[in-house]
Amino acid sequence: MILLDIRNLTLEIESNGVLVKALDKVSLSICEKEIRALVGESGSGKSLIVLAISGALPPQWIITADRLTWRGQNLLKMNTSERQKIMRRDIAVIFQDPKAALDPSVKLGEQFRESIPDELINVRWWWQRRSEKNQIALAQLTRVGIKDVKKCLNSYVHELPDDVCQKFMIAMALVSQPTLLIADDPTRGMETSTKRQILSLCKSLNHNSDLSILFVSHDLLAISSIAHSITVLYSGQTVEDGPLESVRRKPFHPYSKALMDSAPSFRPELHPKSPLTALKGTIPTLQHLPIGCRLGPRCPRAQKACVNTPVPRTIHKRQYRCHFPLHIEAEENTVDNNEGENL
Amino acid sequence: MSLLSIRNLYYDNAPAWYTLNKKDIFYLGPVNFDVHEGETFSIIGSNNSGKSLLGKLITGAVPKSAGEVLINGEPLDNTNRANSVRMVFSHSSQSLNPGISVGRMLEEPLLLNTTLSPSERFDKIRDTLRLVGLMPDHYYFYKHMLSDGQQQRVALARALILDPKVVVADEPFAALDPSVRSQTVNLLLKLQAELGLAFIFISHNLGIVRHISDRTLVMHNGEVVENSPTQTLFADPQHEASKHLIHAHLAMLKV
Repeated sequence: MILLDIRNLTLEIESNGVLVKALDKVSLSICEKEIRALVGESGSGKSLIVLAISGALPPQWIITADRLTWRGQNLLKMNTSERQKIMRRDIAVIFQDPKAALDPSVKLGEQFRESIPDELINVRWWWQRRSEKNQIALAQLTRVGIKDVKKCLNSYVHELPDDVCQKFMIAMALVSQPTLLIADDPTRGMETSTKRQILSLCKSLNHNSDLSILFVSHDLLAISSIAHSITVLYSGQTVEDGPLESVRRKPFHPYSKALMDSAPSFRPELHPKSPLTALKGTIPTLQHLPIGCRLGPRCPRAQKACVNTPVPRTIHKRQYRCHFPLHIEAEENTVDNNEGENL
Repeated sequence: MSLLSIRNLYYDNAPAWYTLNKKDIFYLGPVNFDVHEGETFSIIGSNNSGKSLLGKLITGAVPKSAGEVLINGEPLDNTNRANSVRMVFSHSSQSLNPGISVGRMLEEPLLLNTTLSPSERFDKIRDTLRLVGLMPDHYYFYKHMLSDGQQQRVALARALILDPKVVVADEPFAALDPSVRSQTVNLLLKLQAELGLAFIFISHNLGIVRHISDRTLVMHNGEVVENSPTQTLFADPQHEASKHLIHAHLAMLKV
């Protein structure tokens, strides 16, 4: 069953009197018990999608979507309290940079007690509530693998290392027993062994408690070790979508290929110290977005047709948006091109 | 004969004898290693293992407690340090001054360390900008006008402008996106081939370390636990700490 379904989500931001499409027809869906990776470079709008789902965007930004539904309920038509209820109980978000997301002036224990929903505390008298909450905090923090729980609850954010804060964020997100966890770059700047711990924690949660995860990151190594399916985002457009294994083996879109090639760990045949394949240039800024396919100016396969925005096409559970995809036979390719021109 | 040799380098931040609260003293060393010309030397290790500190000790950004840093057999001191060993700091975007233009940022080391005339300095800066793949026009740019990758290149230009023999780079790729990261890796490899630079890399990203480095040093709690050729280390790590790191990395590769 599909939990979260996003189709053609467009987000427009006004900049110097002009409306800029920060997200352009992004489609994404998350099924039950699925770990989906959302990959893209910084500035590609990954975090904007997270904010759009959680409803934390500034009100002056214009969101339009064919579908933005949670279990069939339209999130965009909902009033604030209904939406907050869903965000409180069903969807949990871990924001980028735990140290910045946590309150620096309150001890972590206090923050944790505040995040526990009232329904989970069934004690008879009010004076039992605090110890019950502490019990829950203790159990949750131990579950995510924090060693010195007492010390953690009695500390401020600045007193703890990054990885403990990250685990604390995960524990705080999981306390309301959500169905979907949105993790926005949870392994950024971490060393390998800590990263491994966080990833295996996500994996076991997915396995044991049937938690669905939307894993937003640009760390391909981390993604390849846990995700089932992948959505590649470039400059606010989804370029490719499909099961991780097949996308990794045969990327259709030139950008996905460049992304996969950028991790030398995936290419054991590569000779040490040989140059890596890289696309020229950098990701365009919002003020200077190219028309049509936004990869156009950087793409090695770009042709005249690329000034028209490619329509999404589907082959074997995989979706891509490109006029001249890789790994697809020539005749099929030419048919696709004609279609593209007619549109 | 090696280009840079580190002999019995020690560091500790022990407070003076009259300090009452004597806890959290960090000891580093002894460190011994040699770096040859055109070689890339990587330093890996877990958090708080003293990787960045070792980098700063080599460049002299933090004064060492004991031991020697030799460049071509000569001890490194304030007279020859700036011209031979330069550093690229982690978070290069934060290490650039937002208040002055790129040109002035690059001119400062020349003013302090050379006797070039203004026009020679200008030419030198333009050449260096071109060397790292920027345009001479970037002379007049300010930090906020550049993208992440370009800022990284400016930080590299600032390290290269005095024609050093060794460049110490602390996490140069941590903040970069995959495609820009590949570009920077290619740039470093190209510069190394052209100028015969020796690089000392401090990094978390073992995939990149494996790709670019010739030798790798593993640090654990301020001690050097392993120093071997990169391919040997990744194939067969000896010490517990290096096993831990490398197995975690390889386990992520398996799907």
